[in-house]
Amino acid sequence: MNNNRVAVIGAGMTKFVRRASETPGELTSYAVQMALEDAGLTIDDIDCVCLGTAPDAFDGIHMKAENLVAGAGARHKPYMRHYVGGGTGVMSPIHGWMHVASGKFRTCLVIAEEKMSPCNPHPAGAFLTIFDHTTEQALELTLIHIFSIEMCRFMHVYGYSEEEIAQVSVLCKKNALDHPAAQIAQKITVKDVMNSPVLSWPVKRLDISPTSDAAAAIVLANEQVARAHCKAPVFIEGVGYRLDTAYWCTRDLAFPNYVAMAARDAYEMAGITRPAEQIDIWEPYDPFDYKALHHMNALLLDKSGRRTRELLASGAFERDGSHPMCPSGGALGVGNPIAATGLMKIAELYFQLSGQAGARQVKKNALRGVAQAWGDLMQVGTVVVMSSEGGMPRTTRWSRMKAQDLAGTALKSVEDVPNVKDEPDLRYAWDNGMALTTYLDGFKKGVIRGSKCPKCGRMMIPVRCFCELCNLHAVNDVYDLPDTGTVQTYTISRINWDSSPLPEGKVNIFAVIAIDGAAPEMGLVHKLGEVSQKEVKIGMRVKAVWKPEDKRAGDVLDIKYFKPVSGKEGLDAKPRQVKPAELDSISAKPYKGRIPMKYIYTAGEGGSRFWKDVAKGKLSGTWCKACDAVHVPPAAFCECSMTALDVEKDARALDPRSGRIASFTIVTEDRSGHMLDDPQVVVQVEFEGATGSVFGRLEAGSNDSIEVGMPVELVKTPKDAGPGQVAFKLLPPNARK
Amino acid sequence: MGVFILGVGYCGSFPTSSGLSYRELIARAAAMAYQDAGISAEQVDGAVSVEEDFVSGYSIADEYSPDQICMVRKPIYTVPGDFLQGIGSAAMQIRTGRFRTVAVESYSKASNILTKDELLHFAYDPIFNRFGVTPHYLAGIEMQSFLGATSFTAFDVAEYSSKSRSSALSNPLAPYASCVDAADVLRARQVASPVTELMIARPADAAIVVVLGSDEAARACARKPIRVSGIGWASGNSVIERRDHRISAGTAVAADMAYEEAAVRNPEEEADVAYVSDIYAHRALMHMEALGLSQDMLPRINPDGGAQANGDQFEATSGARLFDAVRQLRGEAGAHQVKGACRAIVQGWRGVPTDTCAVAVLEQERS
Ligand SMILES: [Zn+2]
Ligand SMILES: [Zn+2]
Repeated sequence: MNNNRVAVIGAGMTKFVRRASETPGELTSYAVQMALEDAGLTIDDIDCVCLGTAPDAFDGIHMKAENLVAGAGARHKPYMRHYVGGGTGVMSPIHGWMHVASGKFRTCLVIAEEKMSPCNPHPAGAFLTIFDHTTEQALELTLIHIFSIEMCRFMHVYGYSEEEIAQVSVLCKKNALDHPAAQIAQKITVKDVMNSPVLSWPVKRLDISPTSDAAAAIVLANEQVARAHCKAPVFIEGVGYRLDTAYWCTRDLAFPNYVAMAARDAYEMAGITRPAEQIDIWEPYDPFDYKALHHMNALLLDKSGRRTRELLASGAFERDGSHPMCPSGGALGVGNPIAATGLMKIAELYFQLSGQAGARQVKKNALRGVAQAWGDLMQVGTVVVMSSEGGMPRTTRWSRMKAQDLAGTALKSVEDVPNVKDEPDLRYAWDNGMALTTYLDGFKKGVIRGSKCPKCGRMMIPVRCFCELCNLHAVNDVYDLPDTGTVQTYTISRINWDSSPLPEGKVNIFAVIAIDGAAPEMGLVHKLGEVSQKEVKIGMRVKAVWKPEDKRAGDVLDIKYFKPVSGKEGLDAKPRQVKPAELDSISAKPYKGRIPMKYIYTAGEGGSRFWKDVAKGKLSGTWCKACDAVHVPPAAFCECSMTALDVEKDARALDPRSGRIASFTIVTEDRSGHMLDDPQVVVQVEFEGATGSVFGRLEAGSNDSIEVGMPVELVKTPKDAGPGQVAFKLLPPNARK
Repeated sequence: MGVFILGVGYCGSFPTSSGLSYRELIARAAAMAYQDAGISAEQVDGAVSVEEDFVSGYSIADEYSPDQICMVRKPIYTVPGDFLQGIGSAAMQIRTGRFRTVAVESYSKASNILTKDELLHFAYDPIFNRFGVTPHYLAGIEMQSFLGATSFTAFDVAEYSSKSRSSALSNPLAPYASCVDAADVLRARQVASPVTELMIARPADAAIVVVLGSDEAARACARKPIRVSGIGWASGNSVIERRDHRISAGTAVAADMAYEEAAVRNPEEEADVAYVSDIYAHRALMHMEALGLSQDMLPRINPDGGAQANGDQFEATSGARLFDAVRQLRGEAGAHQVKGACRAIVQGWRGVPTDTCAVAVLEQERS
């Protein structure tokens, strides 16, 4: 087989900040420019681009990778996005590895971006819609809830105390003090973590990484290019990624099997048989402190968890220890702009293994490292093993990097800078189909239903009509199950789905409940009631409390909550086979939902300049030296040369009266598809002396006589205008010489 | 290393599909694809799902991708892009030598999205390009620019649309085939002039699953393997102010890449049938130009009726074309079979405001 080794030869990133002034495209372009410079390449040397970014709900742009083409340097290049939720950042170098290892491309620019701050009132609200729209969202869960549910189970199975887990937060935040991009590096103690406000027990504020805006980029190359361009290339030696079932209430949450499987794949490829001895540096994903330990168990392939405990207790995870963990400072210290976090960890392995980590350089001579990310519904593991041929500490741009050398402007409020607001009306009606119609029909009748696979014999909740583990074999037998079960794990929450606090003194207790009669550990998530915070326990027996029959709507809220029951109640109840629902045009109902997000978009450098100008009835472009052209609208970077532009210094005034219609369209519908009372005209207008154009509306006039080439003038917009107010008016045909 | 299509599965298309949840719709296509490939799901090494968050209605939609294609705990990730990009991603996996078979899945439950125009409006740049008007406005700008720069007229665009819709009456899978002529298309209600309602593909529900494999896998199991001899993808500028709306730059770059890989020098002579994205009718003609195909090729373009007759299935749209191409190359396309089809070009684009396109060259494997 031909040599298909792939190396990292450069890295770039912005600062990690809670709210960035720059647009997603601007952040991305800065990370790209820096990575190219670090690799000693220009954008013309790049054969292809791949981009990782998690949900569109953060940045607030549908198909957001399409919007990022320019910032990613991907104009007129092969460009592809990939994602696996929180696992995306480490999936990114894997997808990039495929591009190069396939032999199709010599170089690949790999980018990860996340701008979470446009999402309001809090980015955490975007996590409401990661849950199953039909069977879970009505409970108003958010990410912190399932993290705390998982943490509770992890503590129960492995016997960790909250104090022990808090040591990870302390370590990461301390390590991050040396990271130039860090958002929340600080010296704290276990006591500080313990005293921080409880959000959803056992999770406290200082157990959690922050929400962040940032972009990171690396350059990958095949061995030939890498050796020619890079003194100390760091090779990708192993990759692995595994995605578990979407039915997250069906597995033991204590040990992430899917991470261990991904690690095994990566180790097998890298020839690693004893990870604890053969790996020098560990960058497990640490969005919450317990997660780092949870993931270390999987990365060490040690389900007993003994090794991780010993290493934690002995201080081996420190930078001068035997098993340095998160020397970067991790998500807990550097910040957690989901996808960009994972790629930051990959960049950290590149810095450490090539000796460029400066103050963060680990004490041992590190030749091999592993980075891992995780995400979705406790579901995906992505793992990369990297190695170098000798990582002697050396002085480079990265080893001396300071915060002020990195792009990214932190804001107190997104409203401190020019911005545009939008609230998309996103409504859905999801077809229930055969299986969920039968399942929801059960709720209406006051029963929990399952279906039984004839191949593996599992009684499954919710009802499905094929088995996801048995080659999609048909599942036809439906049963009414007892409405009793056993609490597998739980959380005591003090927050709402959008991270706002519940009223003082009020809590919601969410639990994963294994339902009697279903396959072992198979269950559902729901609320507990009629139980005090002190009484709730793993292993507690509970029973559904139903709404009165006439109040039931055929959804999960027909169960008000589960309440504790004593003794053996429900244990000997038997599943009873029932007839599945019959589908016809009345019974085949959809389940309605919506995505309830509001957005505030900062205008960025280019946008701020544009809006400042048009509010004065002016227009400017930005001169680009590489293209010897004035780009309009103003831009903070040139997408052709991927060089930085200065929207102030390189501004070139354009004559707002020099416009010519380049193209136009008469539209008869509004943004929702409703017919307009009067058609409107959208024009694309080019200006003398500039490349590019400005889009806007043409002020009312005779629509029939509009032609391409007609002279127009850009009209002064009101203050705080948005794109809907950019307008042009026709000039007399001889207005210009 | 060769990459082959071992099997294809398709369920669609339908204006609505309320009897099947998205899981059931996809499982139907997946079971068909595995059967067609002659393998069981557990033998498949990994998968790529091709979908977008807000189309599915989920955030991080990849969560809901493994079960209905039987890929639980397997290597699987999501490519939010055109279906053919997913094929490109899977083909690269196979060429690394680490994967023998990879499934690619995409679906559309367009009927489940109640606010499709709002959603598409939300794809535009928030700072510069959301004007509060129909998101089809960019198609109007494009068609205007395209007609101004070429010898094509609005009538040519209308004729493309009407012929696609009427000739597809013989395709039982095409729900939007209808008796319509070019005059009807031109006379139809203008949505974003010169684009009329009958130049825009109507949304449809469908699922597509394709199983790809290495040479070895193709020899071992496939009934009639089809060679993916070339694949390319590329993006035009996302800054629509600085994009040339007369052409599809994304398609041109992607075509160069795919043709080079497949050693295609004269596409019109060497391809027997071609599929192009026609979510807007003018885009079919624009894509043909970028692919180096003249109007003489029109009778062999989208023999299944394209998206004009089969519907806009978002990310899955080019998957429906690929499905038909495979059936053509196997001689199993029924009433719309192109005689002696040995090589096909398939181009994908999933609509405004993007110019991200992909091109695949498929060939019958000569035994
Ligand atoms: Zn089964
Ligand atoms: Zn330039």
